[in-house]
Parts: sequence; structure tokens; C-alpha cells
Amino acid sequence: MAEVHSGGPPKAPSRGPFATACRAFRRDRTGMAALVVVALCALLALAAPLLAALYGKNPKEHYGQNRPGLLSAEGLPVLPNGGISGEHWFGIEPGLGRDVLTQLLYGMRTSLLVALASVTVIAVVGIVLGVTVGYLSGLADRAFTFVCNVMLAFPTLLLLLALSPVIQTRFVDPGENEPVWMQFTSLILVFSAFGWVPLAMVLRTAVRGLRERDFVEAARAVGAGRRHIVFRELLPNVWAPVLVHITLAVPGIVTAEAALSFLGVGINEPVPDWGRMISRGSEVFYDDPTYMVFPGVAILVFVLAFNLLGDAVRDALDPRIAA
Amino acid sequence: MTAYLLRRVAQAAAVLLAITAVAFGLFYAAPSDPALIACGPKCDTAQVAAVRHSMGLDQPVLTQFADYLRGLVGGRTIADVDGSPIDCAAPCLGYSYTLHQPVLDAIGDRFPVTLSVAAGALVVIVVLGVGAGFVSALRRGTVTDRLLSGFTLVGASVQIYFLGYALQYLLVYTTDILPVPGWTPFADDPAAWAAGLALPWLVLGFVNAAVFARLSRSQMLETMHEGYVRTARGKGLGPLRAHLKYTARGAAAPLVQLLGLEAGALFGGAFITETVFGLGGVGKLAVDAVVQNDLPTVVGTVLLAAFSVVLFVALADLAVAWLDPRVRLA
Repeated sequence: MAEVHSGGPPKAPSRGPFATACRAFRRDRTGMAALVVVALCALLALAAPLLAALYGKNPKEHYGQNRPGLLSAEGLPVLPNGGISGEHWFGIEPGLGRDVLTQLLYGMRTSLLVALASVTVIAVVGIVLGVTVGYLSGLADRAFTFVCNVMLAFPTLLLLLALSPVIQTRFVDPGENEPVWMQFTSLILVFSAFGWVPLAMVLRTAVRGLRERDFVEAARAVGAGRRHIVFRELLPNVWAPVLVHITLAVPGIVTAEAALSFLGVGINEPVPDWGRMISRGSEVFYDDPTYMVFPGVAILVFVLAFNLLGDAVRDALDPRIAA
Repeated sequence: MTAYLLRRVAQAAAVLLAITAVAFGLFYAAPSDPALIACGPKCDTAQVAAVRHSMGLDQPVLTQFADYLRGLVGGRTIADVDGSPIDCAAPCLGYSYTLHQPVLDAIGDRFPVTLSVAAGALVVIVVLGVGAGFVSALRRGTVTDRLLSGFTLVGASVQIYFLGYALQYLLVYTTDILPVPGWTPFADDPAAWAAGLALPWLVLGFVNAAVFARLSRSQMLETMHEGYVRTARGKGLGPLRAHLKYTARGAAAPLVQLLGLEAGALFGGAFITETVFGLGGVGKLAVDAVVQNDLPTVVGTVLLAAFSVVLFVALADLAVAWLDPRVRLA
């Protein structure tokens, strides 16, 4: 249609919105650095078994108890700084004497698995509900708003805390040990149950703005059905807020999962978990502060990188709010 | 304004009713048998059945819910494990068979701690967060702005359960700058009260201030170039006065709303902070209740937290309507 509007300024070679965003993102040095850190974390988590094999340790063996000279009689590392040595680079866990580096690596797998799975569910549910409700309006819209208001008023952390045991015990016979996949499933379910609300609310608002635009009107005029309009016309126009929301949701879920484990409900032993490492560290932090530093700093770096990445994605997709 | 007020109150009441229903439903979705827990491991089947009856657990769920609501409004009498009546005054949140006291009393005992923690943290949040946002908006692009932005980014990413212990190690254990965090009633010794809570205030405030700093910075930047601020500046008003008087008011609405949400969440109990510093507030009560399967207390604390959020969000909405007349006309 460019020919019709002749007389304007000479046009730059036209690029799609995705290419424009990618260009903007590549120019953002902080964002690129954050992307590198995030990619590195993902790589480390993926390659954890390989790295552990190269390093010659595993996260489950109680080195400190099996080998003399590593832990004192009180269960504290003999060597200074949490038992850091050429053998155990990040030291060993007080008490059980496990290797901290492999625990950290495998703990990242736990965090990332829960976060990525939850985010996938959140994205699907949030998109379907948000876009549909935004398009429908009327009674459905009012019901949706009410449900969202109720969900938002709940103390999320406390509810997560109270719900995890409920879900777990619903599906596990008493006296039976809970399988690991069940713990993961229940955590993912709980995070998804609350996580979709903000995304759906954002999309509802976005779609309400798009609904009255000419291209939707045109689709309706040529007789397109509701399904076509929702999935083919509206959905492709809201991927930007979805992408931003998902990037920023990952660190939120990672910290929530760690918080649950810190408070005592979450992934159980012996699956490595950052939150539980901090919880264990808090019991001995006057005697062995080093042990808590590693999971604490790991969460900080991970969350910081994801937050920076989310900011960069948002700036790239929406140049108006870029600083 | 009256119509707006009424509509807002009706909305809040409907949300609260729905929350009560859901929280109560969770109580029944819970796997554990409250009667079994209340009775203890020594009870035989007949005794558990008797306890179940005295607790009203053999009634249909809807009847029990109606009883709960009635108790919430007008108080009720609850049967103890041995069948003796317990008077539970309105608003009755049920009776904790673990703590052997009405849930409301258990919350009331611990509320001063939560109130003190939340109030102090809110002061830190507002001063630190809004102050940092205001300064970095005025000094946009300078080193100060970038330093403050970096600071808030760390604040947004660091976890209370890490920062709390780290600061406790540095400021209490190794250097004695602050006393060991703990609770002293304000009436007993105000100085000890403040000293014992200084670290929780600082940690909770710093972590939560980040969001405020970022929001207030972007709000300020957006409002700074509005026509009415430019007019005020054009009339010769100095930058600081113009921004304090006009920009700040124009930028305040989303901040007030965020503050309402934050205050609501904090007054419902700071679960992690109270656990980290060993403070016996409502948050610790809730966490303990979950761990010990004390369901009436879980439901009670969930309701209190939800009520707090609904109340403060409604208050914030009213404040915004007062600040910005465009809202209440919409």
C-alpha cells in the first residue's frame, strides 16, 4: 500500500517488527550481557551430569562422612572457608558432607525445570483466557475481572505454602514415599494456578484495544468466525507483552520455589535445591557462613540476569519506554 | 464521591466473601483429618468420631460454611475435643486445637510484632524507594541516576532469606553494630523495640523499595513534561518546587496504588522476614500452622492476609480518587 501514500519522506528499507526488535536488542549492551549469562546458566544446567563427571563428584555422595579429615566431630568442614580445596572447589556441605559445586549445578536444574514448565503452562492458560475474554467482553469479562480480583487478594506465598502439601497428599497414598516427579508436578501446578492472572489481565487490556481496529473489523466484515479472529487476527499482535511477561516470570518462579524450599515445603531430599541449601546454611551460618554464600549468590546472579534480560526485551519491543 | 465509595465497598465485600469460601474449601480439600489431629495419636476410632461430631465435621460442608460465616459475623460456641463448649466471640475465625486457643486470639497476640515490622518497613520503602526514584528522575542520565538504578536492580533481585542472614552476619555477629534482632514491646522500651527491629526494617525495606524506585522514576519522567508542569515552570516556579508541587502529585496515583498493595501484603504478615529473624508475628504463626497442619489457623491467617490486601487496596483507590478527580468520574 506504500505506493498510495506517495509524497512522504523516502522510506527506509522496511523491516518486520521482529527484525526491528532484534536490532534494537543487539544494540543494548546490558541486555546482551544478560542474555549471555542466562544462556550460560542454561548450558551449565543442561551439562550438569557431564560437568560433574569431568569434575569427578556427584551431588548425592556424602564425601565428608565417608572420607576422614573433611568434617570435624561437630560436622563442620575442617578446612577454612567452608572446606574449599582443590578437591572440592566450592567446599562441602556441613553435616552431610556433600560437594557444594555439584549441588549448585544440579540445584539449577531443579530451579530451571520448575520455572520453565510453570511458565509454559502460564503462557498457554494466560494467552487463551486473556485473549478470549478481551475479545468477548460483557458477562464473561465481568466474571473474569472478579476472579482475578479474588486471586490477586490472596496471600500467594502463604497459599502456595498451604497448597503444596494438599496437592501432594491428594495423589500419594499415606505411608508411601512421594515420587520425585510428583513433587515437581505439584509445584508446577501450584505456580501455574496463580501465575496466569497478571498475564491474562495484561492481554485482556491489549486485546480490548485491538478489537476495534480496522483489520479486525475487516476480518469480521468478510465473515471470519470468532475462532479465526481470536487466533489468527488478535493473537499474532500480542506476542510482545507475552514475551516480556514470560522473561520476567522466570526469575519470579525461581525465587518463589526457593522460598518454599527455604520454608520447608518444596522439593525434598535428596534432589538438590537452592532454597533448601540456604535453609541448611541458615542453621549453621555463624559457624560456616561460606556454605550459604554460594546458593545465595547463585540465586542473585541468576535472577539479576533474568531481570536485566526482561528489561532489555521490553525496551527492544517497545521503544517508547526505553530510557 | 459517595456513589464511588459505595461501589468500592460492595466490590471489596464480594471479593472477601469469595476468598472466605475458597479458603474454607481448601480446608476441606486438605488431606489431613482435623479431628484426628485435634484428638492426637492416642485416640481410638470411636473417640475420633466423637471429636468429629463435636467439631461439627460430620455436618454437610455447606452447613459448616454457614456456621463459619455466622461465627465470623456474630460469634459462636465451638465444642472442644472433650465436648466442653468454648466461647468464640465475633469475628470468630475458629479454634486452634494445636494452640488451644481461638485463632483470633492467637493472631491478636502476635499482631503487634507484624504491625511494627510492617509499619517500619513501609517507612523505609517510601523514603528509600520514592526518594531514589525522585532523585534519579531529576538527575536523569547522570552517574547518580545510574548508581541508583543499579542499586534498585540489586534490590529487586536479592532475596530476603539471603540478605537477611548476610547482614545479620556482618552487622550483628562480626561487628556488633546492631543488636540481635528480636521483639521488645514498644511500651516496655521504645529504644530496644527500634534496635531489635532495625535489621528487619532495613532488609524488608530495601528489597521492596526497588519496585517503588523504578516506578516513581518512570512516573516522574512521564509527568515532568506534562503541559501543566511546563506552565508552572514557565511562570517562573523553581524546578524543585514545581516538581514537588505539580509533578509529584500528578505522578502519585500508581505509586499510591502500589503502596496499598504493599501495605496490604505486609500487614498480613511478612512470612520470610519473620522466619529469618525469628520474630513471632502473624507470618511466623502462618508458616508454623502450615507445617503443623493446624488448619483453622491456616484459614484464619489466609483470611486476615486477604482482608488486609482488600482493605488497603480499597484505601489506596480512595486516596487516588481524592488525588485525581478524573478517576472517580470514570
